[in-house]
Amino acid sequence: MKKSVLVVDDEPNIVLSLEFLMKQAGFDVRVAHDGDEALAAVKERIPDLILLDLMIPKRDGYDVCQRIRSNPDWKDIRVIMLTAKGREIDREKGMALGADEYVTKPFSTRELTERVKELLGAG
Amino acid sequence: MFFNWSFRIRIALFFALIGLAIPAIVSGAMWAIVQGISEGHDPGGLVFIWGGGAAFVLVALVTGIGVLFDINVAAPIQGLIRDLETVTHANPEHTVDVDAGKHLGGLPSVARDTAETMARTQRNVNALIAEATKASEEQKGRLEAVLRDLHQGVVICNLNHEVLLYNGRALAILHVAGDLGLGRSLFTLVNRQPFFHALERLTNRLTDGRHKTHKDGLAASFVCATRDGRYILQCRMSLILDQAETATGYVITFEDQTEELAALGRRDRLMRAALEETRRPVANLRAAAETLASNPEMNEHFRASFADVIFAESKALGDRLDSLSKEYQEIITGHWPMADVYSANLLNCVVRRLRDKEGIESVITGLPQWLHGDSHTLVELLDRIIHRAWDHVDVSAFDLEVTADTNHMNLDVVWKGEPIPSGTLDSWLDGTLDEGLGGLTARDVLEHHKTQLWSQAVAGGMARIRLPLPLPRDLASVTRPKLPPRPEFYDFGLLQPRASLRALGETSLHDLRYVVFDTETTGLQPSQGDEIISIAGVRIVNGRLLTGESFSELVHPGKAIPKGSTRFHGITDGMIADKPSIEVILPRFHEYVSDAVLVAHNAAFDMKFLGLKEDAAGVHFDNPVLDTLLLSVFVHDHKEQHTLDACAERFGIRIQGRHTALGDSLVTAEIFLRMIELLEARGINTLDDAIQASNEIVEVRARQEEF
Repeated sequence: MKKSVLVVDDEPNIVLSLEFLMKQAGFDVRVAHDGDEALAAVKERIPDLILLDLMIPKRDGYDVCQRIRSNPDWKDIRVIMLTAKGREIDREKGMALGADEYVTKPFSTRELTERVKELLGAG
Repeated sequence: MFFNWSFRIRIALFFALIGLAIPAIVSGAMWAIVQGISEGHDPGGLVFIWGGGAAFVLVALVTGIGVLFDINVAAPIQGLIRDLETVTHANPEHTVDVDAGKHLGGLPSVARDTAETMARTQRNVNALIAEATKASEEQKGRLEAVLRDLHQGVVICNLNHEVLLYNGRALAILHVAGDLGLGRSLFTLVNRQPFFHALERLTNRLTDGRHKTHKDGLAASFVCATRDGRYILQCRMSLILDQAETATGYVITFEDQTEELAALGRRDRLMRAALEETRRPVANLRAAAETLASNPEMNEHFRASFADVIFAESKALGDRLDSLSKEYQEIITGHWPMADVYSANLLNCVVRRLRDKEGIESVITGLPQWLHGDSHTLVELLDRIIHRAWDHVDVSAFDLEVTADTNHMNLDVVWKGEPIPSGTLDSWLDGTLDEGLGGLTARDVLEHHKTQLWSQAVAGGMARIRLPLPLPRDLASVTRPKLPPRPEFYDFGLLQPRASLRALGETSLHDLRYVVFDTETTGLQPSQGDEIISIAGVRIVNGRLLTGESFSELVHPGKAIPKGSTRFHGITDGMIADKPSIEVILPRFHEYVSDAVLVAHNAAFDMKFLGLKEDAAGVHFDNPVLDTLLLSVFVHDHKEQHTLDACAERFGIRIQGRHTALGDSLVTAEIFLRMIELLEARGINTLDDAIQASNEIVEVRARQEEF
């Protein structure tokens, strides 16, 4: 079965690239544009991995990540935080709240795709 | 001497004359009476005439002498008294009349000489006073000139916060129209909290003697606001000490920070905006470009979309960069005052505030650490956050602890229950803090410390809010001097079953209550007169080191402290001069310990000292005792070094501060806490197990020593 990726970002320009890249890599891709939508999407169907922007409307990425981690049913979801917050302390906070990876924008699409594949065990 | 002698002779002769005149007159009268009787006159008449005559002559004689005495003695003395009074109280230059008292021997001339000497002294004193006044006027003039020309406002206050001296710049900075008014309370002008806080910190530093080694000595920087909250001032407080090293007042220097802080805030926002707002478009650009490049087979529709993205993003990016650089040039930079802060002092302020305000029970645990920050705003931030957390999680007991990692000092607020959702925690950061801080928000405080905070679950059903703070700047001043360790002591009797052991022996090491303690002594030979000069202890309850409930006392040893030992403990004769003796302190310590298990590093040494004083103090320590040195040998048998410093290093415990009884107790406690885990891994679960393991080590060590 295809692995599924949930892209959470409110910026259509990056969503375009991410959606395309993930589809190209052979994943089933869904998109959410804010924190509430993201949680609703997870509830609807559990994704294998979430590309999570931190600065999104309604509920920030930290909050979304923490909520996902607090539900034992969702413990297998991999979370990659994608963010313009570049300070070391922001990364520490992200990791403390349960992210598997913290990627600072701008990033290399090739490296990101590789990292996603690695986390999903799809080599 | 001659005068004195001749004066006394004269007085003596005078009285001798009186003494001779009286019998002469009386016997003359009696002779005349007898004569008269022998001539046949009437005896009654004779007695009347001669007796009365003699009495009259006696009265005349006494009167005459009295008058002479008055003229020659009493009156001149009275005159001298008046002269001397004039000299003393009115006119030092008044001349003492010598002639009137010529029968008083040397008295008038001595009085005159004395008066003249006094007048001369007075003239000298007056001259000196005039000179000193002139010098101090000059100094005052210079001080005033310096104060007037200072860029900072300066205000000097006594400990009642009454203004004693100030400069014109202070008026301008504090925005006082007219006069500040000497003797007026400083707090009619500025918000009081930050001053109380700074004064408390400095007073504690002085009491602990830490100012001698502290980088800022007896000064502290902080931020305050004027009473109306309109201006933010950067302040620096320095304590003023008298000769007995007691604080009598303080000097405050003020700098108006309103503009600088506003500029700083703008700069920070701009920097953040620049970094974050450019990352996003750059990311979008890069992703779009790479995708285009690596997918040449892409259909026309997608290709057009990507081209649009690249065009729109690069244009927006260019525009944003332009406006950022323009804004940046308008900002004048400043700095936010930060200092190295001792976590125990910081957290104590928080604990006291929470207790006073709402009765929230917070407990300081773990080793105190140095960190870098602005103490006052941090206290405000923690007060706010813990308050909200208390509302939110419905728990009223919080532990406060600071732990070190490689990049930060993590300040943790820990409670039993669920963590706080990130969004909720985030929403607490936007309200303004104390009005004394001029509209500063919790988020601003985080930004100034370049940090974040978050809440997460931790082991054992606990949760925490973590606030990472900068590492101390001046690590050199808080590192510990390297000193040779105490020799190891062994005592079989110590680890034999004690009366109280039976009840506790089966209890798990985790569940016991401990008092970890240390003593400082005048030397290493308790049986040869060395004495305890300091004793301290800390509690461990349920695996938490309760830093806030420590015991720490200096003790008068009843003798001088050997100079050589001072480099080990830093205690001097001056510091213990007014301290109670061990007979007073030991019962207090006994009460503090109660029925807890005693723990010490090289415990036999400390227990020996305690034991020797038990009778005199009227207490007996029969508590079970554990020795971290022996336990260290047990869990790290392959290691050679088991000194306190070596053990701390092995467990990665960062030791700050010098060797004090309290400092070493804290380190020992932290080591002991880590050891409990290792002991359990080796099957040592109960107190009995731990004591048995220790006994084995004592036997092995004792045997080794025999060889």
